[in-house]
Amino acid sequence: MKILLFVIFLLTSFCKFAFSDEHLDEQQIIAMGDIEYGEYLGSECATCHIQTGESAGIPAINGMDAEVFVALMLAYRSKLMENPVMQMIAGRLNDEQIGSLALYFSTLEPPK
Amino acid sequence: MSKISRRAFTGIAAASAATLAFPSISLGAVPRVVVIGGGAGGATAARYIAKDAGGAVHVTLVEASKRYYTCFFSNIYLGGFRNYASIGHNYYGLAVNQGVNVVHEWAVYVDSAAKKVNLGSGNSISYDKLVVSPGIDLKYDSINGYSAAVQDKMPHAWKSGTQVQLLRNQVMNMKQGGTFVMVPPPNPYRCPPGPYERVSMIAHQFTQSNPTAKIVILDPKPKFSKQGLFEAGWQKHYPGMIEWISSEDHGGLKNVNASTMEFETDLDTFKADAACVVPAQKAGAIAMAAGVNNGDWCPIIPTSMQSQADENIYVLGDASVAKSMPKSGFSANSQAKVAANHIRGALTGSKVFDARYSNTCWSLIAPNDDVKVGASYVGGTEAIDVESKFISQADDSSDTRAANYQESIDWYNGITSDMFS
Repeated sequence: MKILLFVIFLLTSFCKFAFSDEHLDEQQIIAMGDIEYGEYLGSECATCHIQTGESAGIPAINGMDAEVFVALMLAYRSKLMENPVMQMIAGRLNDEQIGSLALYFSTLEPPK
Repeated sequence: MSKISRRAFTGIAAASAATLAFPSISLGAVPRVVVIGGGAGGATAARYIAKDAGGAVHVTLVEASKRYYTCFFSNIYLGGFRNYASIGHNYYGLAVNQGVNVVHEWAVYVDSAAKKVNLGSGNSISYDKLVVSPGIDLKYDSINGYSAAVQDKMPHAWKSGTQVQLLRNQVMNMKQGGTFVMVPPPNPYRCPPGPYERVSMIAHQFTQSNPTAKIVILDPKPKFSKQGLFEAGWQKHYPGMIEWISSEDHGGLKNVNASTMEFETDLDTFKADAACVVPAQKAGAIAMAAGVNNGDWCPIIPTSMQSQADENIYVLGDASVAKSMPKSGFSANSQAKVAANHIRGALTGSKVFDARYSNTCWSLIAPNDDVKVGASYVGGTEAIDVESKFISQADDSSDTRAANYQESIDWYNGITSDMFS
């Protein structure tokens, strides 16, 4: 069953990749994600985004909805949103990396 | 649905890779990592290896101090913006939450052939992989007349701890209208904007308690980090208080005299009522004892942070030669994650990802006037290469500068949680 699901996933991912326009939507980007890669990439985020609670300026991202996460990262990547640190961080992430991060953070416990 | 299937697949793939790639590790033997130094590099590496390996790697952290006072934000304490206790952290989180074996001892020698670390107590610890993250030692003799013996008269306060408290006391007790002399270190050194943020914070304190005081900076360099932003800030907030004298103008510091508090240069002899003298720096002594240095610093492989001298030793943070990456707590924390990923991969067969690094340095010039500089990096074949960078702009709004300060506080809370929780 797991193998079947994986094959279906691979095929759907391939189709989306092969036939989509240049700009993928949030769900397509999430579908490209790899959670283990997201965990590694996400360690960079943990330097500033505190993992153990809320903060006043830099928002907590643990438990963030994956689509919202992708939308925010795309906005920073295209410089629609302003913070230069986030523009730099998002600026070097490709769609697969953004999808991986979105998947990973969506699985974490949100701050209480 | 796809999330579940993918996760299951990842687990299977990782388990298979471990079995196939590491037949030499006998069943039941838990590989051992020893980390020397519990600062931004070492504490982060210990935490990430232990956390991500979930018991598959035994991690020992060797750190002499039971309480670690961060060097970053010590300037904010000097400016009177936070108390000293707020920059102190313990290692209970690493021990209790992550299962790290925390050993409060000095590491005195590394026998890299036998893969053993000798401790001050005479005991030794074996390792499969060693992380060396000792920070800096000071080259006291790089300044004529300066030595460890006079460091309490002219604190360097460059390794946090009681020296920073001492400097704060000397700032607070300086005579009214007196002169404070700051001697920044030559390149390369820990925290490039640090000396100039320190001057800003001391100037802010003087505006509160000693408004006619003067600050003279005798710089061994002709230019410095974020110079334009600092100088504009000094002009705006502390007009007439701060005089920065370039090495090209004073011709070099010839001698310091701790008894008379005099600083002799080609230009003039400056008499101080209080001073901060930061000498040249080198990698912490244990890096030399481990034989991973080349001169004052330790060359690394940019894709893993492995020492170029020994593939079983990783060097993090200030002690390493990271070229374009500044020596900062943020850099060390970032490098630790690349090393942790690489070490775990080597020991357990977990996936090793691309080496990516980042750094941002915030500097407070005055209340709610904070500037930042940062860059992202990749591990290239020859060096850690800059991918992109940014710096605060001279015409930033006051709201942006205030937001930067709040951001720096959140970063402090984030990185210390990332190191110690």
